[in-house]
Amino acid sequence: MDFKLTEEQEFFKKTVTDTIDRIVTPRAQEIDEKDEFPWDVWKEFTKLGYIGLRYPEEIGGMNADKIMCMIFYEEIARASVGFAQSVIMNILMGTYFLFRFGSDAIKERCLYPAMRGEKIATICFTEDQSGSDLGATRTTAVKDGNGWRINGTKMWITNGPICDFCTVLATTDPSKGLKGLNFFLVEKGTEGFSSGQIINKLGCRGTVTGELVFDNVWVPDENFLGEELGKGVVYVGDILDEVRLMTGAMALGIAKGAYNEALEYSRKRIAFGQPIGNYQLIREKFAEMDTLMNAARLLLYYGSWLLENKMDCRVVAAESKMFATEVCLKVVDELTRIYGANAFAYEYTPQRYFRDARFLLYGGGTHEVLKDFIGRSLIGKL
Amino acid sequence: MKILVFIKQVADSEARIIISADHKSLEIENKYTLNFFDEFAVEEAIRIKEKFKDSQITVCTFGAKRSIEALRTTIAMGADRAFLIDNTQYPSENPMVVATILARFAQQEGFDIILCGRQAMDDENAQLGSMIAELLSIPHISAIMKLEIIGDKKVRVENEIEGGRATIEVTLPALFTTQKGLNEPRVPLITGVMKAMKATIPVIDPLTLGLTKEELDSYAAMMHLFSYEPPPSRPPVKIIEGETPEEKVNKLIKILKEDAKVL
Repeated sequence: MDFKLTEEQEFFKKTVTDTIDRIVTPRAQEIDEKDEFPWDVWKEFTKLGYIGLRYPEEIGGMNADKIMCMIFYEEIARASVGFAQSVIMNILMGTYFLFRFGSDAIKERCLYPAMRGEKIATICFTEDQSGSDLGATRTTAVKDGNGWRINGTKMWITNGPICDFCTVLATTDPSKGLKGLNFFLVEKGTEGFSSGQIINKLGCRGTVTGELVFDNVWVPDENFLGEELGKGVVYVGDILDEVRLMTGAMALGIAKGAYNEALEYSRKRIAFGQPIGNYQLIREKFAEMDTLMNAARLLLYYGSWLLENKMDCRVVAAESKMFATEVCLKVVDELTRIYGANAFAYEYTPQRYFRDARFLLYGGGTHEVLKDFIGRSLIGKL
Repeated sequence: MKILVFIKQVADSEARIIISADHKSLEIENKYTLNFFDEFAVEEAIRIKEKFKDSQITVCTFGAKRSIEALRTTIAMGADRAFLIDNTQYPSENPMVVATILARFAQQEGFDIILCGRQAMDDENAQLGSMIAELLSIPHISAIMKLEIIGDKKVRVENEIEGGRATIEVTLPALFTTQKGLNEPRVPLITGVMKAMKATIPVIDPLTLGLTKEELDSYAAMMHLFSYEPPPSRPPVKIIEGETPEEKVNKLIKILKEDAKVL
């Protein structure tokens, strides 16, 4: 066993950290306060090429291994999870099905510009009555001539109101439940495709999240993203582990940012004549936080290693997302205790970490659903 | 155009540094970075290459194995190749020792221009550039703010002087140390990062550069580090009390005149 990052991975981590700290970190508080998509930061960051992180070099990507991807997700979430969500949507979920199933024309039109940051991508799963329960998807796609007619409304769509294209999950046969699900590409400007309500979120501010409406939207057959009808749910399974590990990495990123703030504060804040870091009850908090974060990172890297080596990681990925998020919630809570009353003021940063962490409870699957899945997987069918 | 850039990996400004009990050494948290002033040197080399495509940028440092990370950063930015002169067998920080080793590397490698930061952010010696130039018997201009190639083997540079700037023309080969304001160092593109990750960085033993241990020992013996001391702790902050802003300002003026004696 070798737990060490390779020299190349260490270099990648250092470079990513430096780059993010130069471009994103100084703007994090402002991004949160304004709650507007930071177009200037987006342009400056995406021109560096990181959106192609997980795609092959032949198409302008980096072909990064899964550990490197997790390093990247963690670091960008450490700086600003609001900005990270938009970036990661373009890197992973928003472009995944285009890369896998898109025609050359679709790749030229959507994927490659998205990898360059020139187009904003998203994916649409959630509806008002379906999140983890994808079988309840009500958005329909009905065959119509040489294409498909899509109707429905999607909720909680990251980048939705500003997207240039989206991958939409729709049922082509509601009677088949999960086996009726399929993916379609819908591009901005298509008749009937519009953005609805923008959600005023508690955290992850800066990412524009909202409703997308598909009102009799017609797309050509080319926009069907898959090998054959009815395999959409299988494709969801193919990406789900990576999404869950990514969510765990983001949770660790928030935790790390909060931990660093706590560390700095405990070294500087004087109480009763000395830095509060000198008090055992404060030190105990760091001992616990560091232990938990190390454990979460080991589980995350283990899951990523399984994924990289094409081994079954469904349970570990779910455990990783769940554990890293719970660790994150613990760390941001400790940050607010170490900061004392200042944590309750908007002018300080702890409140941002505290609010941001809450979203991870839901993204990538609620912990109630994940625990049920893990337990069911371990006990087996009785 | 052969461009040599000498760099140093230094402790990050956020790294925790503790002075050892005997005051002879430092314990540095494992956070290192490319020296701030060297970034300008690397960037300027890349800008020269962008204008003179047949240029080759070679970066070199004398340091610990971990310095490879800083060398990779320069490749990610756009340098062509990098060399580490490993200090494991001879871990001296004596400027004359380092300058001698780097000058010998420059002689072996060949060069038209040598660039390096005006000083390292850790020891703040600001000696290396002038020492290397002297050892190579070439001109040296310090803390340049502008560099322009104006002809075959001719360079015009500007550097900051008290109250203004000087413009100087220099015949190459020459060495320039770089100052903040010369350029804006670039953030590496991901293609550069990939290139840097794959780059092979040769590691050189300084004693294979035609130098003897005795020679280096003789330079090292010229200086002796006596002790490290922390800066004096800052006096406590004095809060000026008062009912009105005017009252507070008057009290402040009185303190500045009578106690601090700065007015």
